[in-house]
Amino acid sequence: MRATVFTKTLRDNRRSLIGWTAGTTLAAAMYASFYPQMATGGAESVQNFPEAMREAFHLDDLTSAAGYLQSSVFGLILPLLALFYGAATGARATAGDEESGTLDLLLAHPVTRTRLILQRFGALTAGACGIAAAVWIAMLGIRESADLTSISPLEFLAQCLNLALLAVAFGALAMGIGAATGRRALVFAATAGIGILTYAAHTFAGRLGAEWAAYFSPFHYYIGGEPLKHGIQWGDAGVLAAASAALVVAGTYRFNHRDLNA
Amino acid sequence: MENAIELRELTKTYGSRRGLAGLTLDVRVGEVFGYLGPNGAGKSTTIRLLLDLIRPTVGRATVLGLDPRADGVELRCRLGYLAGDFVVDGRQRVRDCLRFLADLRGGVPQQRIDDLTDRLGLDQNAHIKKLSKGNRQKIGLVQAFMHTPELLILDEPTSGLDPLVQQTFLDLVTEAAANGQTVFMSSHIMDEVEAVADRVGILRDGRLVALDSVAQLRAGAVREIEITFAEPVRAEEFARLPGVRTLVLDPAGTTLRGQLTGEPDALVKAAARHHVTALRASEPTLDGLFHAYYADAEAAPRSTAAV
Ligand SMILES: Nc1ncnc2c1ncn2[C@@H]1O[C@H](COP(=O)(O)OP(=O)(O)OP(=O)(O)O)[C@@H](O)[C@H]1O
Ligand SMILES: [Mg+2]
Repeated sequence: MRATVFTKTLRDNRRSLIGWTAGTTLAAAMYASFYPQMATGGAESVQNFPEAMREAFHLDDLTSAAGYLQSSVFGLILPLLALFYGAATGARATAGDEESGTLDLLLAHPVTRTRLILQRFGALTAGACGIAAAVWIAMLGIRESADLTSISPLEFLAQCLNLALLAVAFGALAMGIGAATGRRALVFAATAGIGILTYAAHTFAGRLGAEWAAYFSPFHYYIGGEPLKHGIQWGDAGVLAAASAALVVAGTYRFNHRDLNA
Repeated sequence: MENAIELRELTKTYGSRRGLAGLTLDVRVGEVFGYLGPNGAGKSTTIRLLLDLIRPTVGRATVLGLDPRADGVELRCRLGYLAGDFVVDGRQRVRDCLRFLADLRGGVPQQRIDDLTDRLGLDQNAHIKKLSKGNRQKIGLVQAFMHTPELLILDEPTSGLDPLVQQTFLDLVTEAAANGQTVFMSSHIMDEVEAVADRVGILRDGRLVALDSVAQLRAGAVREIEITFAEPVRAEEFARLPGVRTLVLDPAGTTLRGQLTGEPDALVKAAARHHVTALRASEPTLDGLFHAYYADAEAAPRSTAAV
């Protein structure tokens, strides 16, 4: 199978991909490098926060490097960026082209709809891996200077892998909805909405006495196993990967069985 | 394989809206087929069905002996398509766009692409988003023709093109036909269809209302005629002749004006009984004929309850 669509998609999206990578990496490096200040002074001020909030955002463990990163950088900023990268890229993947009418031209060529989706999904995944790899490298770069040596490079890698998988999962959700409906605005809104809801489920499920709800949240599989402390969580990574595959397959099935919008 | 396209009872409804109603049509291998019809007649619907971009509600289409759905990849290798509202991602240069589309087909000689862009006057270094509508349409033409496909399916190919480029397009079609390629093109422009098509089908409200060769249609087409006599003549002598549609004698009784279809033989023989001082007859045009089919076509078709 030639990868013409895959490479073209990456090339067309290079600017936005560079933007996502640079922005995400910068944000990650900046907030992670605040750790030394946080470890000394910040933890005390957190004691004044309501207990519910401390629990929800795991603020009680701010003095350990992993605890700090899990509650701020890897717990809030990066996963939300991953969500929006997945939603935006996934919405563009087919729904954007279908709405603008350029999909007609592509699919009048010897390309099956399945191949189109898979290669676009491949490009989305490659982008997510690129972003996560850049974050990992940045973490290794500031690890010494920011007092993060209690986390091993492998543990950072484990969390970055889950970051990539989280972006891929939301990308797959967006692509699936887009392939099924062809409506870009709907795709973006639905994906972002589901993202925010599942983030809330992950964060507050325990508080609300509905622990089961967390299991429906991709964020649970992303960080619930605490890769920064325990290394690679194969089970959680597997759940994210399997969910992504299922979403893409379902979207592709629907895409193959419907009319393209004119 | 005798027919490049075979449509059998092809029907497409969009919810309760009619797109195409039981269309049966054959397009022969090697012919140039003109597909005409007023706005909303179902031309683009037919064409998108052929490409498997949409699926029929009822009926079957066979293209180059293949099923558009099951054998889509092989089929689309062998045909070139230009959409009615051709759009292409503007964030690239013409050259890169054409290279990419050629790569999807496993490659096309650069020489061939250069030839086509030169003939159409398309700058390959231009950014697509900066091109005018007509120049964008040229990209559509190039990508449809560049791999010399067996079958060209063109939906209003000349829309937006200036008259010079329209002529180049007609030349490309003529060359393709000489080369044995089949061309199926929809159009609103009678002149261009008349110039290149072997046969013409006219669609209205999703149904085929006329199907004939251009020569046959032309034989039935209308000529404007004007005969001037030296002496006054009587109108009754000419009124009932075969082929005469309307004939009016001027008050002086010496000039006869009107419209004629088919052979002018009977009229000429009748006129020859008098001293004819001037005779003028226009070329028959299909225009009048088409207008008859187009007239009172529904501007926006109503919903049909029965499917
Ligand atoms: N996606 C769609 N949803 C609903 N109705 C549609 C859709 N596409 C086409 N139609 C309807 O089907 C009919 C045929 O449309 P089609 O585009 O095939 O006409 P056409 O002959 O190509 O017209 P034109 O000359 O304006 O291009 C029209 O009544 C149109 O409103
Ligand atoms: Mg049309």
